[in-house]
Amino acid sequence: MLSVRSVTKKYGDLVALNDVTLDIKPGEFFGLLGPNGAGKSTLMSLAAGLKTPDSGEVLIGGKSYATSSDENRRQVGFVPQTVALYEDLSAEQNLKIFGQLYGLGSAELKARIEEVLGAARLLDRRNDKVKTFSGGMQRRLNIAATLLHRPKILLCDEPTVGVDPQSRNAIFDHLQELNRGGVTIIYSTHYMEEAERLCSRIGIIDHGKILALGTLDVLVAQLPFEEEISFAQNPQTDRLRAELASLGQVQSADGITRFRPKVGVPLSQFYQLAEAQRIAPRAFTHNRPTLEALFLHLTGRNLRD
Amino acid sequence: MHPSLVLAKKSLLLFFGKRPAVLITFIVPIALIYLFGQVFGLNKKAGDSGPTGISLAVVNQSSDPGAQKIIDALRAEKTFSVITERKGPNGTNVPLTEEDARSAIRNNAYHFALVIPPDLISDTQFGLHLRLLSDPRNEIESQMVNGILQKTLFSSVPNLLMHSLNKRAEQEIGSQKFENFRHKLAGNIAQNFGGDPQGIYDRLSAGDFWHDHFGESTGAAKKSASAGEAANKGAGAAAANTPTEDEPVKNGAGDVLSKLIRFDQEQLVGKDVSNPMAARLVGGYAVMFLLFALNGAASSLFDERRSGILQRILSAPVRPADILWGRFLFGVLVGLIQLMVMFFAGKVIYGLDLAPHIVPLIVLSIAAAAACTAFGMLLAAVSKSQEAANGLSTLLVLAMSAIGGAWFPVSMMPAAIQKVAHFTIVYWAVEGFTNILWAGQTVRQILPNILVLVGIAVGVMFIATASFKRNKMFE
Repeated sequence: MLSVRSVTKKYGDLVALNDVTLDIKPGEFFGLLGPNGAGKSTLMSLAAGLKTPDSGEVLIGGKSYATSSDENRRQVGFVPQTVALYEDLSAEQNLKIFGQLYGLGSAELKARIEEVLGAARLLDRRNDKVKTFSGGMQRRLNIAATLLHRPKILLCDEPTVGVDPQSRNAIFDHLQELNRGGVTIIYSTHYMEEAERLCSRIGIIDHGKILALGTLDVLVAQLPFEEEISFAQNPQTDRLRAELASLGQVQSADGITRFRPKVGVPLSQFYQLAEAQRIAPRAFTHNRPTLEALFLHLTGRNLRD
Repeated sequence: MHPSLVLAKKSLLLFFGKRPAVLITFIVPIALIYLFGQVFGLNKKAGDSGPTGISLAVVNQSSDPGAQKIIDALRAEKTFSVITERKGPNGTNVPLTEEDARSAIRNNAYHFALVIPPDLISDTQFGLHLRLLSDPRNEIESQMVNGILQKTLFSSVPNLLMHSLNKRAEQEIGSQKFENFRHKLAGNIAQNFGGDPQGIYDRLSAGDFWHDHFGESTGAAKKSASAGEAANKGAGAAAANTPTEDEPVKNGAGDVLSKLIRFDQEQLVGKDVSNPMAARLVGGYAVMFLLFALNGAASSLFDERRSGILQRILSAPVRPADILWGRFLFGVLVGLIQLMVMFFAGKVIYGLDLAPHIVPLIVLSIAAAAACTAFGMLLAAVSKSQEAANGLSTLLVLAMSAIGGAWFPVSMMPAAIQKVAHFTIVYWAVEGFTNILWAGQTVRQILPNILVLVGIAVGVMFIATASFKRNKMFE
């Protein structure tokens, strides 16, 4: 559906993408996970035809932008990172403008506006100016404006930045519904929770390179540990923390300590140490290893550093 | 540190961190002060200020030697650039005729022509006769030309009046009696004030004795060597009443002289315009505000880029050229509407007569709006940010408006600035609008203005498009 072949993109001396190759299959909900400045937005811009690669090529349905620019653009919908709408115009006026840019006829456009406004739950606000909308409503309309021409691929460049949790959930539901309807979605984010929740396959990107690629299970399996035990930091657990260092990886942040035992270290050994410190089992939480842990493992840095 | 000081320091940090803000606050006013100084000639030496080089055609139909003296006096006046000849059919210069001057004024080649008629000095009447043909399209310029013309004529006219008086006296009392009178007068002057009686007689006969002494106080004529010191003193009282540069017509001598000079004025252009000043005022200010408005519209591209709208548009089957031409079209339409609204306001407020000129007004407005829009696009293309575009726009729009004649006639500016004016959109637009509203010119007649503006629009849009491509506005 979308192929990125050996793409390199530089801004002066800065290498934003370094020989990236990626294939997205039809119907996938693909997550592009990485910290700020990793190269996510550049990759999304190249996929949307907004930028041209210095080397390599981006293919949509096997066709490159160089030869099939308009055709490719009609298959792709791009949701920018910001709310890219005319805030002094109404929701419907905005949708009309963006629909007409894709050459939709008036009858079809009218029907599509009804559909996307309904899906975004904004039908009753269609005549209100965008600037009167809440942040969540603006974000939903931002996506709706991209769906008017029925794109086969939806490129979402961090569409939930600055969105409240409730609106974020609404956006997730909407995107999952679209994906179920057959739309291929490529979703860039620096929130691992979003990638874990939404994406069937994830690519971890940093410094312009894809570091890991696969389903969540495949990615997590790359970690040298299978469990993560977290507990609150306090004087009682401080001594335990010191003793755990020889059994695995210990990381403390925000008052929480995360212990990732080495492969082969039995959990009973951990609990023996805890018992020796008179810490009750209820003080511990078992977690499945996360993408955050994988990123840390791959780069030595946290995703939000 | 007190919170007020902390906050003041913060504001200073932010302010000096924004180069466009600093540019607007300091550099733009300094540039404008310098520019207006150039326009008003403020950097010239004392006594050398004021406008220079206003074209004044002079048609000499008189055989009297006094006519040449008038032309010489006008040539000595820095305000005027005196034209007495035109190119003939074989490339040689031929003297201007009245018809040449009338035609040139109607074609806006210049706005004033002084005709020195055959009866400049009549045998039968005391006084002088002159005629002024004019196109007073610029009221300030017309007032200035009239004032300086009077001053120049008054300073050279006394000897001509004496010449006229001699002729009239000879006619009335006979040449023998009048000759005797001159001999007696010369003798009395020499006896009481010193000097050579024959020399004084000769100058009295030529009619330029008095002029030399009037001229002493104005500095317009050279000091008489033959009349002697005493005669100079005697003429001093009369010289005190001679018009000066500061007060050309207020004093008594000016009043008397103005009654002795028959100065017929004929307006060749704009006779039917009810409010002459408004024709230029409305055109000038309309173009200036058009430039401001369209620059703002063009620089809003930065807003669209910042908000991501540009990305959204470009992800559709839309080319950067579509965006630029869409904006250009918008600018032309808004500009046309804005100009029409301003001219309508001119009609309501000043009674401008628009109905007979509506077609040329619309055509020129479209050309002017196109040029102004293209200019705004170029500023947006060469600026790194909206703030920078706005700063540059303030500087250039004010400068172009001042130089191009939106505020006052170009003809009043120094010659060098007048040449620069031809490189501004404002000049071609304002001249075109004035030609339509004041001189009633048709589309065909203002075609040069239209072509220049359209040429500017096309050329500047071409450069703007290339600049947008180079600065990657659409990436």
